[in-house]
Amino acid sequence: MTQIHLRYHWAKKYLLSFGFLLLTLSMTAQNVSVSAKLDSTVTYIGGQMDLKIQMSQPNDIQLAFPTFKDTITKSVEIVRVNPIDTLSTENNRFLLEQRYRITSFDSGLHYIPPIVFEEAGKLLDKTLQTDHMSLMVVNPFEEVDPQKGITDIKQPIDTPFLLSEIQKYFPFVILFIFLVVGTTLAIMKYRGRDIPVNIFKKEEPKIPPHVIALNKLDEIKGEKLWQRSLTKQYYSKLTDALRHYIEERFEVSAMEQTSDEILASFKTIDFSDDKSFENLKQILRTADLVKFAKHEPFPDENDMSMINAYFFINQTKIEEIKSLEEEKQNMLDKEAESADNDLRNNNNE
Amino acid sequence: MDQTVDIKAINERIKEESSFVDLLTIEMNKVIVGQKHLVEGLLIGLLSDGHILLEGVPGLAKTLAINTLATIVDAKFSRIQFTPDLLPADLLGTMIYSQKKEEFVVKQGPIFTNFVLADEINRAPAKVQSALLEAMQERQVTIGDTTYKLEEPFLVMATQNPIEQEGTYPLPEAQVDRFMLKIVLDYPKKDEEQMIIRHNLAKTFPKASSILKPDDIIRARGVVKDVYMDEKIEKYIVDITFATRFPEQYGMEKFKDMISYGASPRASISLSMAAKAYAFIKRRGYVIPEDVRAVCHDVLRHRIGLSYEAEANNITSEQIISEILNQVEVP
Repeated sequence: MTQIHLRYHWAKKYLLSFGFLLLTLSMTAQNVSVSAKLDSTVTYIGGQMDLKIQMSQPNDIQLAFPTFKDTITKSVEIVRVNPIDTLSTENNRFLLEQRYRITSFDSGLHYIPPIVFEEAGKLLDKTLQTDHMSLMVVNPFEEVDPQKGITDIKQPIDTPFLLSEIQKYFPFVILFIFLVVGTTLAIMKYRGRDIPVNIFKKEEPKIPPHVIALNKLDEIKGEKLWQRSLTKQYYSKLTDALRHYIEERFEVSAMEQTSDEILASFKTIDFSDDKSFENLKQILRTADLVKFAKHEPFPDENDMSMINAYFFINQTKIEEIKSLEEEKQNMLDKEAESADNDLRNNNNE
Repeated sequence: MDQTVDIKAINERIKEESSFVDLLTIEMNKVIVGQKHLVEGLLIGLLSDGHILLEGVPGLAKTLAINTLATIVDAKFSRIQFTPDLLPADLLGTMIYSQKKEEFVVKQGPIFTNFVLADEINRAPAKVQSALLEAMQERQVTIGDTTYKLEEPFLVMATQNPIEQEGTYPLPEAQVDRFMLKIVLDYPKKDEEQMIIRHNLAKTFPKASSILKPDDIIRARGVVKDVYMDEKIEKYIVDITFATRFPEQYGMEKFKDMISYGASPRASISLSMAAKAYAFIKRRGYVIPEDVRAVCHDVLRHRIGLSYEAEANNITSEQIISEILNQVEVP
C-alpha cells in the first residue's frame, strides 16, 4: 500500500512538473515584445514630433497599452493621442502601434524613462518595458536681453499678394458691377434723367470758343444796335460775347467777375502781344461807361470796340489742327462751289 | 429811371464835393495807424447816413477812430459804456425835478450828440439796446411828452467783442439789421504795430485837425444820393440779396439748408447807399459793380442767418457771401 501510494505520489509529481514545463514553454512561445521610438532625437523648442509605441504579441491574447494623459515626462507634453493601430497580422501575431504627438517648451536634453506596460506585465507575470530615450530640445532664438528692450522674437512672415488668390471671385465681381451699372441706368432712365454714358451715340464735335464768339460778333454787327441808338444793348452783348469766350478759352469765370477782376486775371496770362490786353481793356472800360454811366461814345469808338473784339479773339484763339481728310473735304467743297459759280456765270452770260 | 440824368455834371460836382475825402483820410491816418478798412467804413457810414457795428478784440483803436472823426468834423462825440445795469434813461435822458423852478425839467442823455460810440453794446439788456436802436432809426428821442430831434449828422458806432460772450445780450436780428455796416476788425500788421508803439511812446501823441463842419457832411450826403446808379446795378444788387434768400435759384443748392433767413429789403437799400458812398469816395459819379462788391461783405455779413447745419459744418456768412459774389452774374 505504501509502495502503491509512493508510486502514485511520484507519478503525480512528475505529471505536475511536466504540465508546468509545458505551460512555461507555451508562455515563452507567446513572446511579447514592446518598443518605443521618437521621430527624431533633436527638435526645436515648441516643435512637434511623434512618439511611436509598438507591441508585438500573439493574436490570441489581449494586452493593454499604457495610458498617458497630458505629459510623457515633466518636460514632454502630449499634443494629440492617436488610437491604437494594427500594423500587421502575420504569423498569428499582431503588431500594434500607438502614436503620441508630443512637444516640449523647455530647451535642453530631456530623459524619457522606459515606458512600462504594467497591466500586460502583470498578466504575463513579467516586466514589459521599452528602452529609455532622450530628446534634445534646441532653442533657435537669441537669448532675450532685457537691455535691448522689447523686440519681436520672430519677424512677420512676408506673404506676397497673388492675384490667383482672388481669381475665383472675378466673375462674381464683374457680374455685380454690371448689375449695379444696369440698375443705376435703369433708375435714371425711369426718372427721366439724362444718361451720362453715350455708348451708341456719336459725340457731337465741340465748337471751339473762338468760333462761337466770332459768330456772336457777326450777329451783333448785323443787328446794327448802336446805329439804332441802342448803344447800351450793343455793349452789353459785346461784353457778354467776350466774357463767354474768356470763360471758355482761359477758364476764367468772367461772367461773375467785374472788369477790373477780369483784367487782373489776365495779368498772369502771357499774351503774344500786349495789344490784345490793351484792346480788351478798351472794350471793357468803354462798356462800363456806357452800361453804368450813360456814356454815349462816338460812332468811331463803337466801331473800334467791335474791331478790337475781333482782334482780341483772333489773337488769342487756339488754332485747331485739321486732319488731312477734313482739309481734303474742304478743298473739294470749295472747288465744287467755284465750279457752280462759274457755271452760273456762263449761263447768265 | 430818370433818363435825363447828366452824368458829366454829377461827375464834376462829385469831384468838387469829394475833395475833402483825401484831407479827411490824411487827418485820420495821422492818428490811426493802419485800419484802412475801418476808416473807409466810417466814411461810408458817415456819407450814407448809416450806423456801424464794429466787431473786434479790445485795443484796436475803435474809440480813437470815432473820436478822431469827431474832431476832424468838428462834431460832438459821446462814448457810452454799455453795462448790464444801464437803463434807457441813462442813454436818452430823463425828467428831473428842479427845486428852483419847482417843475420837472428835461435832462438830455449822452445820445444827444453827433457821434456816439456804444461800447460793448451787447453787455446791456434788450431794453437799452432797443432805446438806442429806436433813436438810430427815428433820429429822434421822446422824453416825457416832448419829442426831440437828434442832431445831424448822427452816427452810431457800436462795438462788440467776439470772444467774451458770457453775460452778454446778443443783439436780436431785427436790431442788428438796423446797422448799415458790420465791420470786422483785425490786428494791425507788424510794421503798423511798430508805428503804433512809436506814436504812443512819443512825447506828444499826434492830433487830428478840424477840417470839416457837420454841414459839409450833410451837403456831401446830398451829393452821394445823386450818384448815378444804373438799372443794371440795381438788378445786380437785387440778385445778390435774392441769392441770400434763395441760393438754390443761383446754383448754390448746398447753401439751401445752411441759411435760415436771408437779407432783408433794408439790406438792398443799405447795399445801394453804401455802393453810392463808395463810388463817391472813389470820386466817381456813377456806381459800377466793383463798388457793390467792395461793400457787400460789410453790408450783408450780419444780415444772413445761419442754420445749425451751417454752424455744424463751420460755414460762415463770409463764405456764403463770397460764394454768392462768385455765382451771381456781373452786369
